[in-house]
Amino acid sequence: MSGVLDTLKKNRTRTITIAAIILLFLMAIQSMDTKDWVITVMRGLSVGMLVFLVASGLSLIFGLMDVLNLAHGEFFMLGAYVGWTVFVRPDTFIDVLPLVLLLSAGLVLIPLWRSLIARANVSPTAGRFWPWIVLVLAIGVLYLTLTRYQIAIWDPEDFASSPITFSLALSQGNLVLPQLPETTLNPLALLLGVFIGTSLLAVAISGFRLRGQARTESTHVDRGPIITALVLIGIGLLVELGNDGITMFLLGMSTTWRFFLAIGVAVLLGFVLGGLTEATMVRPLYNRPIYQLMLTLGLSFIIIEVVRAIWGRPEFTMPKAALFDGSGDLCPATNLGDLLANQCSTLILFDGRIRTYNEIFIIVVGLIVLVSVWLIIQRTRIGMIIRAGVQDSEMVEALGINVRRIFTLVFAMGVGLASLGGVLAAPSVGLSTDMGTRFLLLALIALAIGGLTSYPGAAAGAILVGLLQQFIIKFGQIGINLPFLSEPFKPTPPLVPASVILLMVIILLLLPNGLFGRSD
Amino acid sequence: METSISAANSDQNGIIAWIKHNWGLLLLVIGVLLLPFIVAFFDGQSFSDVLASETGSAKFIQGLMIEIFILAIYAISYDLVLGITGLLSFGHAMFFATGAYFTGIAFKNLDWGIGATLLGIVILGVLQALLFGLVLPRVQGITFALVTLGFASVFFIIVQSSELAEWTGADVGLQGVIVPEFLNTTNERFRLYAIALLATFIIYLIYRRFVDSPTGRVCIANRENEDRALMLGYNTFHFKLVALIIASITAAFAGFLHTVHQPIVSPNIAGLGWTVAALLIILIGGVGTLSGAIIGAAVFRLLEFFLDRWFGEAASFLLGVIYIGIVLFIPFGIVGTWKAKAAQRQQGWARLLQLFGLKKEEITSE
Repeated sequence: MSGVLDTLKKNRTRTITIAAIILLFLMAIQSMDTKDWVITVMRGLSVGMLVFLVASGLSLIFGLMDVLNLAHGEFFMLGAYVGWTVFVRPDTFIDVLPLVLLLSAGLVLIPLWRSLIARANVSPTAGRFWPWIVLVLAIGVLYLTLTRYQIAIWDPEDFASSPITFSLALSQGNLVLPQLPETTLNPLALLLGVFIGTSLLAVAISGFRLRGQARTESTHVDRGPIITALVLIGIGLLVELGNDGITMFLLGMSTTWRFFLAIGVAVLLGFVLGGLTEATMVRPLYNRPIYQLMLTLGLSFIIIEVVRAIWGRPEFTMPKAALFDGSGDLCPATNLGDLLANQCSTLILFDGRIRTYNEIFIIVVGLIVLVSVWLIIQRTRIGMIIRAGVQDSEMVEALGINVRRIFTLVFAMGVGLASLGGVLAAPSVGLSTDMGTRFLLLALIALAIGGLTSYPGAAAGAILVGLLQQFIIKFGQIGINLPFLSEPFKPTPPLVPASVILLMVIILLLLPNGLFGRSD
Repeated sequence: METSISAANSDQNGIIAWIKHNWGLLLLVIGVLLLPFIVAFFDGQSFSDVLASETGSAKFIQGLMIEIFILAIYAISYDLVLGITGLLSFGHAMFFATGAYFTGIAFKNLDWGIGATLLGIVILGVLQALLFGLVLPRVQGITFALVTLGFASVFFIIVQSSELAEWTGADVGLQGVIVPEFLNTTNERFRLYAIALLATFIIYLIYRRFVDSPTGRVCIANRENEDRALMLGYNTFHFKLVALIIASITAAFAGFLHTVHQPIVSPNIAGLGWTVAALLIILIGGVGTLSGAIIGAAVFRLLEFFLDRWFGEAASFLLGVIYIGIVLFIPFGIVGTWKAKAAQRQQGWARLLQLFGLKKEEITSE
């Protein structure tokens, strides 16, 4: 007992702050009806979980590598848009998939080309200019093939075939996909051209890499990349051959399964993109902290522009999957049995109407992720290395562990989590090109509140941010009875973001390391 | 930082020695001052047209250059905070926006003169730096960045809130500011141009002097190793506060020029994007170089301008690509890389001279 008291005394400010937050929370609940506060808490948790999915990756990346990834919000956004594509337009997804697979198959082979070129032992003078020639060739081949490759896609400029229209059509159950015009060009031949183009690109890149180096490169040919490339090519060609069949299958499956497929694809893409970003762009900059800010900032501009170019500027929403969109006689459900049997879109809890997807599914998934990542960090070997790396990555390296590989893994994992958050957010908050920036800011605030490098801190901060926002919104509707005021005070909309920021500033002034951060 | 230390030491005859050491800089300033006339000459306008602010490419170039000067003043103040003192602040846009909004309100609602407005700006600049100074001893590093971001975001929200629409124009921005005739950008553009140029020049000189002063040296020491500076007996808090106050006044002055030059003060200049712009500018130019902020501002604005003109929609995308390229391939910014490559450049010159037979010395190889 005395031990507990001692810890409390040592962390007096922290204890008082946490107690004050809990007290305020209870007071806020006290002033509302049961119905109101249950809904508000559920909404707050839902937003908090989305923020947590962004914040957790940000916190892991910052803790391990000291990189504040300002493009994290944009990866979140990209996850949402890719998820939408798989969900609403599976035909586009299937059309693009072989292309992406073959492009990456070509680039996976870079190590192979490198050893082959190193073996060929080209003279330095020739080595100075041949990569440029190959590069021009590669761009030429890629241009010729990529522009002729046909993809069934929407057109953000034209309302009748814009993403908004397709979303609406799907939610009303009359989705009609546009047919591609017939062409004489064989898509398989085009894919082959794409592969040759990327291979040339890979050769050029390896040529550039080898240019400045002495001939100490190992000429050993690894088998890994070749196998990966063959698998990628195989899958790519199979998908292309079965294009129509797979599209029909995806369209025929229930929207529930398609939604889970969308989640899977978005997470996988986020994982790969994260790994690639770390390996190619962030890695050269580990000893120049501010430059990483600028790099990730540049990356976020690029992603926003790409999303604007492909999906257009207007906002749209993703329809909910069938599992969360039912409306039978027994809906809104009053008990769990009715909810599961009718797949109701809403249920009644303490007289309040709660949306199944927004307030239950997101929270459940968020909690599962929270717990499983926590278990990975606490219970596995990789988690142990991550924790050690957060403490002192040089020491871990000195112990003979390849920390760089862990860096890549953690970056990939963080971006994957953000991507997951994006898909989950798409049906509830909608898709817009500023959603990334918005959630990144919230996640940064959550991290600052919880402690920058602390994983439980990220969770607590995110939930606090979500709850506070929702409570302020709710109070905006019903008003708070403040002392010395005759009329109930109604917070105006600008106070919603401002309140979170003020909470952050106050907590940081009281506890510069956040609620759960370690003091260095 | 540059030659001014030796200039101060080497000669008693102050001004002449100073001019001798800085003739390149002075020539550059005079050249830029004459730029509108040169443009007018090639465009077939007479010189009196330039003075009378006649519409034409000379007037347009002046407008663009004034924007560059404003950006340069703003960025150099951020360089003092980040590059010299080593404080990562994400709230710098607030310094600028306070100046811009206050100028607009003073001219429009309060009907103040230029002198009173400038005095008000200085007072406000000191006040907001003191606000940052309140949190300065408590939080460090990235936490300081987040707290300042918090301050600036609250300011941004306040400026945009509809309750203050009468004063700040809410999210439309401050419109219809009547600028006193003396500084009017449509009728007296060349005067404004000259004033902005001179202001940039003088602020650059003051900053360079500040960095060379004992105070500035301690600021640099704080950037390099704060613990060591503390150990040596410097209360780094005071030095950080001084740097913040100077930067805040400078940025607010840039905001003043912005309002004078632009007809609308948009709330965007209070947002995070505007701080990021300053960060990008000094990263392009070279962090902690001062002159880099000015060159970076020119590159940044021209890049934005030409990309927008040539590519329209895709400009933002290309800007992102160029930033990443700069970070990966010109890591120390333009001025930083230029200085780092000084030895190589000298060698190159020597080799060139030898090639033409002008110099017979043996060149030491790498």
